[in-house]
Amino acid sequence: MKLEMGNFHVQDVVFAEKTFYKDGILSINKEEALAFIKEDEHIIDLDLVIAKPGESTRIVPVKEAVEPRIRPDGRAVFPGVTGDLEMAGEGRLHALKGVSVLGVGMHYGSFGDGLIDMGGEGAKYTLFSQLINICIVAHTDEEYERFEQQKKNTAIRMASHKFAEYLGSTVKDLDPEELEVFEIEPVTKRDESVSKLPSVVLVMQPQSQMEELGYNDLVYGWDMNKYVPSFMNPNEILDGALISGSFMPASSKWSTYDFQNFPTIKELYKEHGKTINFLGVIMSNLNVSLEQKKRSSIFVAQMAKSLGADGAIVTEEGYGNPDADYIMCLAALEDVGVKTVGISNECTGRDGGSQPLVTLDVKANALVSTGNVSQLIELPPAEKVIGELEALARDGLSGGWSFDELLGSSVKEDGSIIMENNAMFCGDMIAGWSTKTMKEF
Amino acid sequence: MVNKNNEGILGGGVMKKAVYYINQFFAGIGGEDQADQKPEIREGLIGPSLAMNSMLDAEITHTIICGDNFMGSNTEEAVKTILGFLDNVEFDIFVAGPAFQAGRYGVACGTISKAVKEKYGVPVLTSMNEENPGVEMFKKDIYIFKGGKSAAKMRDDVKVMAAFGNKLLKGEPTGPAETEGFFERGIRAQIWLDNGPIAARRGVEMLVKKLNGEEFKTELPIPKADRVEIAAPVKDLTKANIALITTGGIVPVENPDRIQSASATRWGRYDISNIERLESGVFKTIHAGFDPAAADADPNVVIPVDAMKAYLKEGKIGKLHDYFYSTVGTGTTQAEAARMGREIVEKLKEDSVDGVIMTST
Repeated sequence: MKLEMGNFHVQDVVFAEKTFYKDGILSINKEEALAFIKEDEHIIDLDLVIAKPGESTRIVPVKEAVEPRIRPDGRAVFPGVTGDLEMAGEGRLHALKGVSVLGVGMHYGSFGDGLIDMGGEGAKYTLFSQLINICIVAHTDEEYERFEQQKKNTAIRMASHKFAEYLGSTVKDLDPEELEVFEIEPVTKRDESVSKLPSVVLVMQPQSQMEELGYNDLVYGWDMNKYVPSFMNPNEILDGALISGSFMPASSKWSTYDFQNFPTIKELYKEHGKTINFLGVIMSNLNVSLEQKKRSSIFVAQMAKSLGADGAIVTEEGYGNPDADYIMCLAALEDVGVKTVGISNECTGRDGGSQPLVTLDVKANALVSTGNVSQLIELPPAEKVIGELEALARDGLSGGWSFDELLGSSVKEDGSIIMENNAMFCGDMIAGWSTKTMKEF
Repeated sequence: MVNKNNEGILGGGVMKKAVYYINQFFAGIGGEDQADQKPEIREGLIGPSLAMNSMLDAEITHTIICGDNFMGSNTEEAVKTILGFLDNVEFDIFVAGPAFQAGRYGVACGTISKAVKEKYGVPVLTSMNEENPGVEMFKKDIYIFKGGKSAAKMRDDVKVMAAFGNKLLKGEPTGPAETEGFFERGIRAQIWLDNGPIAARRGVEMLVKKLNGEEFKTELPIPKADRVEIAAPVKDLTKANIALITTGGIVPVENPDRIQSASATRWGRYDISNIERLESGVFKTIHAGFDPAAADADPNVVIPVDAMKAYLKEGKIGKLHDYFYSTVGTGTTQAEAARMGREIVEKLKEDSVDGVIMTST
């Protein structure tokens, strides 16, 4: 499978008369863009706001992030979601780099929503402070979940995917500034120089723990709660086969932007043919009951073994309960003779003294740590807020609270905040971006 | 008496003061034959405190001496006496040892350092060799630096402690255990790697090393399991007082104890002595880690008051405890959970509960 990613490096995003891309500038006709997003009648109030790196801007509640892209051949960027179901991972893709479309609640947040600071001390906590963010700030008519802590956020999330494709269409017929090629030969048809190297699979555990449909990550539009692990080509993931859901606490989340640019896939590609033979991805999931967790670990271990994998990297979109799936999967692979490395965050409590993962197994002897869910963070007010700051305290975001006898509310009257890292949008960068680690103090 | 002037500590105007603890051997009093030496306090410097005084940005005003046997056999008296000395001394930091491989000396340094830290809240430092039993006993309570096997390493060991002590005295940030040189205390926090490789790169490099049989270093060493033994069965259920406890977040709808929906630090107990079941609309779940629909429609599915009341009528159990206890389990740290558990157990014991049914979600 060969995927050619034609990149356009966006230097600036501006509102203008016309929507087009030229010389690093993405211009957007705001009225037309608003009208396009409002085609979904569930969106009843809407604004489009641009947030740039370094600004004193705080964005909350952030529900989704998507890189704007287009398929020049007319296939959907997110097959089964923004258009017809076609196989992803092959052919030409055009991408606007350095920008993301953010889905932001105009008023209401939910458990898995997060916060982004574009400047100051808070900027270091998320990757998205380094991107120009085109924020869809929307209010919807989804009354059934208005005051629920768990929200599907369907309208805002789907708007983000569609609008990313809308913006991507500006570079549909242009020549890319850079071409990245991702090519991997069929597993049994590789040159001996490659196949003699240690064989490696990547095991991904996207979030799928809500039994009710509509909250989970989707693969080709299919809810991953009703799914058993299967073998995928890494290009499918880079090419929009998966989209993020609306459940996992923000710092442990993989946004759709993360899937589209999954750093661990890219690093494995770099080593392919040099130090390893990258077989592909075993796409697993995360489950609720022990039996479901075990079933998935059996599928993963069997597939890795049958493919002849010598090694595996396992990574989970989550913390807490999903740690059980993560550790069980690592142990199951070790049990069939596949050497493993795990990549995830830890949750050691505000004093750092708690057990780092919910379950532990000495077989998991090679782990990369990307951050601490429960690190307490205090930040000064920002000059501008996109969305509604009170949502952090009021709406049950995983790392915010309305009351604490010592710390007070997460949101102070002057606009300063105190929160757990848990609510930093994709803050632990488990997809592999994280330059954080955990140390003993 | 402790110099509580934190401005002094942070501002660095006045010379800080320190107190040093050593055993009879390092005080030059004698070896094993003098190990019953009772605690004494002397002004000025003796033995290792001389070296420390030259490196520490504080003046060691007093040295405390105590025989290892005396500390070991009369611990309570020894600690009480020494704390009594210190009540009349101003100090900003307390240093003990280094104890090297000397087991009783190590335990003594740990015992007194921990007591001083707890009473006065000042930083305490000591140093031991990894073979010293004092390490396992006290490394979670105090900073114990990784020291040499014998007194030949005295100067090196003191130097490491002094460098760290100076950071504390100046209010400077301190680094992780491996950089500073103390034994891990079981406290983990996130740091940014300066220009460090991203997690994806670290993971791939670690895997390649593991595949090639080369040495690799996990970023999360798996600690030893901390398991609680399974209790003995209840002897006669028909006479037993059984309580219900849940981490499923079932509370009266107004959540009177304001238990958090995730990362809980609070728990509540609610009277069920006069009701046959938990009614929807009266009780609900505030747990944010699962779909609440079924629990809100019938809270008994999470905490089975209805079934237990039925068992009570049938005589299967002797008594259903008057209260059920509730908190939220999602994202709740092990330390908080253990604390809440201890608090709840205390109440259960007061009320002579014989057995507990614990439900999660």
